[in-house]
Amino acid sequence: MTFTVLKSVKVLNPKTSFNDISDVIICNDKIFSICKDFKTEVSHQDRQINIYDCNGLTMSPGLIDMRVNIGKTENLTAIQKIAAENGITSMVILPNQTPKLNNPSIIDHIKRQSENPNLTKVNIYGAATKDNYGLEMSEIGLMSEMGAIGFTNGNKSIKNSLVMRRLMSYAAMINRPIIQHAEDEDLSGLNKASTTLINGEMNEGEISTRLGLIGIPSCAEVIIVERDIRLAKLTGASYHVAHISTRDSINVIREAKKTGLKVTCDTAPPYFALNETSLLSYNTAFKLSPPLRKEDDRLAVIEGIQDGTIDAIASDHRARSKDTKAQPFSAASVGASGIETLFLMTLELVHKKIIDLNKAISLLTINPANVLKMKKPSIEKDGLADFIIFDENCPDVINQNNLKTSPTPFDRRKIKGKILGTFINGHVAHINQILKDKIIK
Amino acid sequence: MNELKKNKNKSFFSSPVKLSSNHLLAIEGMEKSEIQKLIERADYFANLDRHTNTKVIQGYVVLNVFFENSTRTRVSFELAARRLGAEVINISLVNSSIKKGESLLDTASTLNAMKPDLLIVRHPHSGAPLLFADYLNCSIINAGDGRHEHPTQALLDALTIKRRVGYLDGLKISICGDIANSRVARSNIHLLTTMGAEVRCVAPSTLMPSNLENLGVKCFSNMKMGIRDADVVMLLRLQNERMTGTENPSEREYFKFFGLDEAKLALANPNAVIMHPGPMNRGVEIASVLADDTNRSLIKTQVEMGVAVRMSIIEALNHTKNNMMKN
Repeated sequence: MTFTVLKSVKVLNPKTSFNDISDVIICNDKIFSICKDFKTEVSHQDRQINIYDCNGLTMSPGLIDMRVNIGKTENLTAIQKIAAENGITSMVILPNQTPKLNNPSIIDHIKRQSENPNLTKVNIYGAATKDNYGLEMSEIGLMSEMGAIGFTNGNKSIKNSLVMRRLMSYAAMINRPIIQHAEDEDLSGLNKASTTLINGEMNEGEISTRLGLIGIPSCAEVIIVERDIRLAKLTGASYHVAHISTRDSINVIREAKKTGLKVTCDTAPPYFALNETSLLSYNTAFKLSPPLRKEDDRLAVIEGIQDGTIDAIASDHRARSKDTKAQPFSAASVGASGIETLFLMTLELVHKKIIDLNKAISLLTINPANVLKMKKPSIEKDGLADFIIFDENCPDVINQNNLKTSPTPFDRRKIKGKILGTFINGHVAHINQILKDKIIK
Repeated sequence: MNELKKNKNKSFFSSPVKLSSNHLLAIEGMEKSEIQKLIERADYFANLDRHTNTKVIQGYVVLNVFFENSTRTRVSFELAARRLGAEVINISLVNSSIKKGESLLDTASTLNAMKPDLLIVRHPHSGAPLLFADYLNCSIINAGDGRHEHPTQALLDALTIKRRVGYLDGLKISICGDIANSRVARSNIHLLTTMGAEVRCVAPSTLMPSNLENLGVKCFSNMKMGIRDADVVMLLRLQNERMTGTENPSEREYFKFFGLDEAKLALANPNAVIMHPGPMNRGVEIASVLADDTNRSLIKTQVEMGVAVRMSIIEALNHTKNNMMKN
């Protein structure tokens, strides 16, 4: 039996509010013990022990990334590996890939295909509707049995109010959340069937006017959020708004939560770290959906994170090839990479003293688990050994050339923090040289 | 008297302009002095007898790369370059390489490999010439990109006004029509406000871009108010597909409220002049009789000035590049 000991590590466990320096002992896939001195629990004589000197390092449950797009040219296994390298031990993938994840057999297939004890665990959102028009309900009950943990139409809004009502009602029956990309497609010009000649490219305002790009008004988001909240009230459903980006929507959710509705939301780092002025150079790395908003919206996202209106932070990873981004802005693809910067950008909120580390970790672990009714990750005795070890203060610069996915909207950004190790099911899924060097012989 | 003498002696009137960049991508961000010098140099070219030898940049290779249909702008650039002695090759890429699936940058770098001195680019997407400038090492002139800018049009409009009225500073200029989709409007707004003119924008609210007033203009959805006392009324083309639909109910309704007719023009300064970047829709943006009124309409002068302005720009880019190489 092999033991791994993390000596003098700062354990941060939001579920139990445990926050102390301890020795953590891992055996097989479980946490064997959390104690003051590992020598009281195990000894060299009877067992093989790997001891890491983790003085100054922090340990927290592994991250849950609740929104990952797997692109046409991306390989799921490769993404699982990159996710693990970046502290994500569990991720949820969107159904709008090719083929669409809209039936139980494909959910089952992907579940099996992605199962690997050394890689990031894959959870799946099933497609809420079978067809591209969003009119026919998928077999969400059967998909749920195969392990789909929520239902959404990915990067398309569930547009039809009657369909949404029925989906919510049905999903409430099987106790699964509906996840919405809130955007009025007609207003944003993304409704391809529409005869109106627009195709929204960025947030509407002075900057879109200056650049001559077609604006998406910020109210395109709140219009859907408001409608959906009324339907959530009608049906009693758990309703979750993904990548929320505007002050108005955040205000509406804040009020809905006060009335006790099961309404939640997440945001992604671009929406708290950037605003629309980034687009002034037509840099297509900033062409996102929802689009980067005004500074006031960014500040509202930060307030929402602080006061708990925003439940979670997801990467909203949607990597794109350099070819589809090296285009005029209007022709370039939408989306940016995220899994490699999720943790670092969330940590930036801590360094900027916007939230504390415990809150930051909660936003990336127990909160998304809560929203998705998953088991809450925790570092506790006999618990599953899914955790990360990081240095919260290590200075670094995000550099596109060093990343495996592109494009990052945070290229050349100075940050602090580094993931040094990711353990999944007790296995070392990723270990940085810095941590390797800390093995006590 | 002294002022006149001073002007006569200004030597840069007949010397090429040196710019701060070896591209002309947008008016936004350009210095007032640069704009002024380009206009003055163009004025000099406009005054020359057409048979004067201006072939100062022989061997200079210009590619006219148009991803959108154009007659007047393309011909104007071609004439300007030829009058300067440059070699011009016209390339129309409206459908060809895009249909073949070649990416814009591949097309651009293919052209660049032929080592032109200057690429004149018109593209339906805002910002496309900036992308060219980022990746290629020849000079780029933006000949119109999407809804973004059309800098040479604004410069030729300014020259036209200056030659007729004499100055730009303090002039009341009303730009009327489809502002939202107009690159001509944006370039003119930047240029005219930089030069100190009072710019008003008149458009149906469905064709008025948001927060336009932040660009330093006054916005009107009532044309009668918007052109009151104006010295210049600049009209914009309304694309056919926008004449009916959800932006405008009909052509005749548009003409009633936003078309320039004698009754509306009577509200402007009695000497007000009319401009239009062309091609115009008679009976939609402008009453035919006004378009043909040689006393009021500067539409043909605009076309004429286009060549002079483009000569001054092409010459300036060549001059700027030579200077950069020397240093």
